[in-house]
Amino acid sequence: MRKLLLILLIVLITGCSQNQKLIKSKAYKGIYDEKTSSILILPPINKTTNVEAKETFYSSLVVPITQKGYYVFPSLLTLDILKEESAYDAEMFIDNSMKNVGDLFGCDAVLFTIIHDWTKSTLASYITVKIEYILKSTKTDEVLFHRIGKITYAPQNNSSGGLAGALSNMISTALTKEIEIGRACNNYTFKDLPEGKNSPKFNSDMDLFAAPKEFSVRLNK
Amino acid sequence: MKKYLLLIAIIIVISSCSTPKLYNWKGYDTAVYSYIKKSDDESLEDLLKIYDKLIENTSSISNTPPPGVLADYGYLLVKKGEVEKGKELLKKETILYPGSKKFIDRILKQLEK
Repeated sequence: MRKLLLILLIVLITGCSQNQKLIKSKAYKGIYDEKTSSILILPPINKTTNVEAKETFYSSLVVPITQKGYYVFPSLLTLDILKEESAYDAEMFIDNSMKNVGDLFGCDAVLFTIIHDWTKSTLASYITVKIEYILKSTKTDEVLFHRIGKITYAPQNNSSGGLAGALSNMISTALTKEIEIGRACNNYTFKDLPEGKNSPKFNSDMDLFAAPKEFSVRLNK
Repeated sequence: MKKYLLLIAIIIVISSCSTPKLYNWKGYDTAVYSYIKKSDDESLEDLLKIYDKLIENTSSISNTPPPGVLADYGYLLVKKGEVEKGKELLKKETILYPGSKKFIDRILKQLEK
């Protein structure tokens, strides 16, 4: 009887620890094991009515991922080849095996992004962006990295002075604002990606804690 | 008064020196966005100018042009009719970034046809 209780206790404890913070070598085990070094970014899957979001967001993904030390395939060439292969709409094959894409490009992993929300209110001048990021291995089809980020930008009218004021003035026109919010979402997301092969910090971050899978940020100024 | 001005100037200089990045991507985001959007001669010329700058000014931790830049630049030149120069740049990408070799070699093969 005691033994049973003990087992139960152990199960309970290990069950709970799932909710605790994971270190990167556990959270992103696949990336470390497979030594993922090249990533193919697919055109975003747009679930909103904002038709421009797909292209606006696609062009903002390359920079943060390369800065982390990964090879990212040339965006314009990739876009044309994907159109040629009738693969411009990534929702068509998100559930398929990634091996074909892997063969065509020679990439280690494929990045899907899903735009769940991309709302701008002209009157209140706030913007909400909710994006899901799914990095899939072309070798094992395993999900290597998964994030859902929500960013709301809501400027406060009364505090336009000082540095904050200067910053919000920098984000001036509506379009640049949207690009900036998309970028902010990418930066929050990819900050947590393990350092890639081209980074001087490669393989030095395994014991750091991984950030939670979902995040929500509100920018006020 | 002068002292304050100097102090402000110093603060501005320091705060503008952000930590060095792995690659220099200055000006790329906006230029590529407007090319994808418009695809006209003006946005193409602007983007090509940015590529030139990114290849010339590699002041960053890696000291090389960022991934994809040589290849996309080469690809646009091929489309423009500057085939030889374009192919040269595509080949350079495969040397600098061997991860691109499989894909770009296939593109180069298609261009031979």
